[in-house]
Amino acid sequence: MSVFESPKARINSAMLSQYISRPICFVGRVEKVHPTGKSFSLSDGEGKSASVELNEPLDEELSGVVEVLGIVSNKGTIMASAYNMLREDKGIPFDLELYNEALKVIHDFPQHYPFEIATSG
Amino acid sequence: MSCQIGHDFDKKMTVKLTEGAIEALTKGTNVHSPLLQVLNIRRIEMGSGHPRFRLMMSDGLHTMSSFMLAIQLNSLGEENCLLPHCVCLLKRSVTNILKDGRCVVIVLDMEVVKSAEEMGGKIGTPTPYVGVFSPGQTSTPENQLSAQSYPAASTASPHNQPSASSSTRGPGGRGDSGKKTPTATPTTPGGSATKVVPIASLNLYQTKWTIRARMDLRAMSLLRAPSVPGVKSKGRLFSFETWRRREYEREDWVLCSGVVDKSGEIRVTAFNKEVDKFFSLLETGKVYYISQGKIKIAKKQYMTLKNNYEMTLQRETSIVQCEDDQDLPMVQCDFIPIAQLEHKDKDAIIDVIGVCRSVDGVSRITTKTSREVYKRDIHLMDTSGKAVAVTLWGEEAEVFDGSGQPIVAVKRARLSDFGGRSISALFSSTVMVNPDIPETHRLRGWYDQEGHALDGQSLTELRPGGGGANTCWKTLSDVKTEQLGQGDKAEYFSCVATVLFSRKESCLYQACPTTDCKKKVIDQQNGLYHCEKCNKEFPNYKYCLILSAIIADFSDNQWVTCFQETAESILGHNSETLGQLKDTDEAAFDEVFQKVNFTTHIFRNRVKLEIYNDESRVKATVMEVKPVDHREYSRRLISNIRKMAA
Repeated sequence: MSVFESPKARINSAMLSQYISRPICFVGRVEKVHPTGKSFSLSDGEGKSASVELNEPLDEELSGVVEVLGIVSNKGTIMASAYNMLREDKGIPFDLELYNEALKVIHDFPQHYPFEIATSG
Repeated sequence: MSCQIGHDFDKKMTVKLTEGAIEALTKGTNVHSPLLQVLNIRRIEMGSGHPRFRLMMSDGLHTMSSFMLAIQLNSLGEENCLLPHCVCLLKRSVTNILKDGRCVVIVLDMEVVKSAEEMGGKIGTPTPYVGVFSPGQTSTPENQLSAQSYPAASTASPHNQPSASSSTRGPGGRGDSGKKTPTATPTTPGGSATKVVPIASLNLYQTKWTIRARMDLRAMSLLRAPSVPGVKSKGRLFSFETWRRREYEREDWVLCSGVVDKSGEIRVTAFNKEVDKFFSLLETGKVYYISQGKIKIAKKQYMTLKNNYEMTLQRETSIVQCEDDQDLPMVQCDFIPIAQLEHKDKDAIIDVIGVCRSVDGVSRITTKTSREVYKRDIHLMDTSGKAVAVTLWGEEAEVFDGSGQPIVAVKRARLSDFGGRSISALFSSTVMVNPDIPETHRLRGWYDQEGHALDGQSLTELRPGGGGANTCWKTLSDVKTEQLGQGDKAEYFSCVATVLFSRKESCLYQACPTTDCKKKVIDQQNGLYHCEKCNKEFPNYKYCLILSAIIADFSDNQWVTCFQETAESILGHNSETLGQLKDTDEAAFDEVFQKVNFTTHIFRNRVKLEIYNDESRVKATVMEVKPVDHREYSRRLISNIRKMAA
């Protein structure tokens, strides 16, 4: 079940429950980081929270908008395989609300956004 | 020779003036369209404003020198139509008795029936008319006769003779003209002495008048009160429902409207206390008797109705509703949907109404006659989904307040083809903010519900800049499918597109070194370069750019031309640097053009049909290049998607 080899749906917190055990991409703003550095919470463009768990603790300070690749656990948390911090000090800040609007468009019109590749077998 | 004299003599004899007319006019007796001869005409310069023309007239029996041309007839004087000895038909006039008893006849309508040349001389031997004047009369200087300052209201005195019209025309005259004995001056309507005069006869000299007129579009507004120091006042615009809510104490309330009768119209203004008094009484479309309003010269720069005067309601003003309103013209409002303005001819006089969704700042420009005027553009949108810019001028531009996105109605404005289609408020236009008509409430409801979310493409392209609610976004395939630029005027649009290719050959040319001159110079082959435009020779030149490129989006591609500024912007270098590179380092020069390929920008383009050697083609020129604003672009795409899905 390689997260990196399959298409990952972009979702927000409201959609987590529909993507259990599936690879997803989640973009949100860092809310809290657990003291152990092994988990943190993000808020999406609608302000709703999602919890992210890591295999290894963080080795850097996490802040701003982060893109997480991972699989949704049956508890509704994201088991992260990788993350990207979207740097906000360079150029235009990331508009999370606008991203959320785009996300809704993608999900409302799946016929126009065929991201899923049919896997053979 | 004697025959010739006899011929002239005959001619003069055949023209019979209306003898006794002068006496009748002076006394206020009714006389219908008398034939009078102009003996003298004199132009009087006033300190400011219009000049006045004073006439000496003869009826064959008497002469009188106190005839004044009404301002609206000034052109007769200016254009030398009224030369001494011409004979005229006095169609309409009004006689005023000044407080010293002297009389002035104001000429409201007059027609020259025999020219001065035809007449050749004075008819008969008239003598100056000596009327009955009140004791204590002193010879008045010119100023008093033609004074523009508002004289104090004449009090009823036994010697005052009532004003009378010399014509039997005129709407709704309820009093009888032709009184020979002094009577009490008319006061309020309903009394037996009521005298209703036409609006066209209102002037600075008469105070005892009553008009009967229909209320036009009216609107309430708050003017800034600049005379109050330290108070930061904001103009606020209220509709009828909210006018009672006074949140700022030191603001001027202004009620603006117009009233109309068969003879014409006049602007009516009221301030503060009079607004309180009259606002709830006055309704658009109803007819009122109005008297004791203060008449002033209408300010030139101010948008007024077609009248040189305007009326301000004052404490003494009386307004009474009149039930009988059938014979007066109705208030005409013929609003054209903004989208249809494209199909109207330029210079047409039209009415529009719309939501004022944005207002530009006031700018000051100098006219051709070196006069400085203020102007301001406001942008109106209506239910047709299109928007248009309306240009206001003068004081109206200065005080206009578009906060709260009011409904603005513009009557009798001129449709111009500036920027495509735009509207200019003329001297004779009326601009009303939140007028009290059903259309206003309809627009308000529509805008609050759905209109506010609309993009509302504007018919006016005032600036090449893109962005904002006024940008016209197109895809490149739209250029062909919508046949942009194929009409008789240039069209503008914005698009997001990618550069596919740009021609580095012959993109640079040698131009005149004079600042701002981009004319190509001719190499004289002797070290000198000649500019035909500046008509000078120079030992040097500067490099200028004309860049041909293909841009494309998902739908189509398009050849465009970029001149100096836009070319430099796309290439990322100025023309001088590029010129040097071309001469010294070919590889680096080539690379500039390579790097441009597949860069994406916002292009603001101008397209127009041009004819080359019998072949007509649409040529596209880039007016402005900007980096893509991804957030704005995303929002627009999402908005378009949602609209398509709805």
